[in-house]
Amino acid sequence: MAAADSPSAALRRRDLCSRGIRLAGKMRSDVIDLLDTYVERQGLDASASVAAVEGVPVAAVERWDEQTGTQRLLENLAAYRAFRVLLAQMLEEHREQLGEADTALGRALAAVLLQVSAFAYHLEELLQLESRGPPSEEGSVPPPVPHLGLFERKLRGLGVLRELAQWAIRSTRDLRQLAKPSPGSSSAPGWTESP
Amino acid sequence: DSHIQYERVGADVTMKCGSMDWDAAVTWTANGTDIDESHLNGSYLILKNVDLTQSGQYSCYEGSSWHLKYQTYLRVGTPPKEPVLMCRSNNYPKGFYCSWHLPTPTYIPNSFNISVIHGTKEMVCEKDVYPKNRCHIRYLQLFSTVKYKVTLTVTNALGKNSTTLTFDEVAIVKPDPPESVVAKPVPNNPRRLEVSWQNPSSWPDPESFPLKFFLRYRPLILDQWQHVELSDGTSHTITDAYAGKEYIIQVAAKDNDIGTWSDWSVAVHATPWTEEPKHLTTEVQITETTSASTSSFMPPPTTKICDKGAVVGSGAVAVCWTAGLVLAAYGVLFI
Repeated sequence: MAAADSPSAALRRRDLCSRGIRLAGKMRSDVIDLLDTYVERQGLDASASVAAVEGVPVAAVERWDEQTGTQRLLENLAAYRAFRVLLAQMLEEHREQLGEADTALGRALAAVLLQVSAFAYHLEELLQLESRGPPSEEGSVPPPVPHLGLFERKLRGLGVLRELAQWAIRSTRDLRQLAKPSPGSSSAPGWTESP
Repeated sequence: DSHIQYERVGADVTMKCGSMDWDAAVTWTANGTDIDESHLNGSYLILKNVDLTQSGQYSCYEGSSWHLKYQTYLRVGTPPKEPVLMCRSNNYPKGFYCSWHLPTPTYIPNSFNISVIHGTKEMVCEKDVYPKNRCHIRYLQLFSTVKYKVTLTVTNALGKNSTTLTFDEVAIVKPDPPESVVAKPVPNNPRRLEVSWQNPSSWPDPESFPLKFFLRYRPLILDQWQHVELSDGTSHTITDAYAGKEYIIQVAAKDNDIGTWSDWSVAVHATPWTEEPKHLTTEVQITETTSASTSSFMPPPTTKICDKGAVVGSGAVAVCWTAGLVLAAYGVLFI
């Protein structure tokens, strides 16, 4: 495995970051469309306030500009792995509700789920460039599905998608930070463990 | 004792002469001028349906001794109407500012209080020095889905009013317009204009938060704008300019991912490069003018009006050029 600061690793990192930025942009655009479909099909008010949803990774972060590259990647990866599970749960619930009917909402959910999985994999590749590699998912238990009524589930779904849209913006910003050329050495800033 | 008294426009005001009895003989003045007795009820001064012009210093003097018994400064005004509040982030991701004003003046001093709440957290909005009605907030968190709630309360001696704005972090992002817009002709290219600009200096980190740009341009003689959206770079070459026409050009900016477009930049004017006119002399010059870079809109140099053997003199040459330009304009209009 190439050392983190070798020229080929730097090139690969930049390439992965650019592609990641494009993936995140497309994902965000699709999540926004999904949000519109979701709100419409679930009969919700688009401006409804949703309290913080349990088990949903929150994109909000303090001192974002001080984060190291590793922190950014780890937080992003943890988030998208969680969204992968959450979206799969939403899709499952949707199918339970409507049977195997191939609805526009079902298809949109499935498409975003695919992009979330792809993005998580992309983040794992970026972490591979570090000697650490990505944390393993083995043994991690998916969060239990809370027992909620139908309307509460719909609101929860709204919260999940809104937070995902926010993450997609954050990921774009994070990847741009990562792609920044370093001031002196050939290694990008913030790739070291310590801030 | 002198003090200030605030009253609403249209109110009826009764002023007592300090501790003097109702039936005491007194003289009232307004800004030094005696007030007619018809406005008095005993020693009380009655001002009915006051208007703004009645603001001023009112003094009451004891009848015989002319001792000053009471003085007040009357300020006639109105309670505040609902203030107009606006919040905007032109320096994302550093923070945002809110600014406000009253739709109509109150004519008396007002104080403003602003509160900014993010979820359950109250944030500090640092006020600009008076009389600027503006305050600044630093973002403590980024990428939050929790909305910000800004409440502005305006208070004066006659009442109070307030307004509230609720928004999320990205909705208020609007950069300042691009700066230092420059448009230059390109030598030997009659249809090109090179435009360049800079990121607004208020945008703190264009590398991590890149801006995209919108360019619009039109010849002065036409109303319709051409538009170009540019996802990166701070320059662009217009390649379809009408030869010889003066252009007006503006640029706007927007964060690549969030928020709204800035206002248009200051307009710049430029005219594409044109070939230098041939040297004007009093002798007939028989020249076959050909130019490889001449656009298709330029008429051939010889026209019916300007035969090669035409009358010499700068006046005639001027007619030739004018005719040439007229025909060029026609050519432009018939594209």
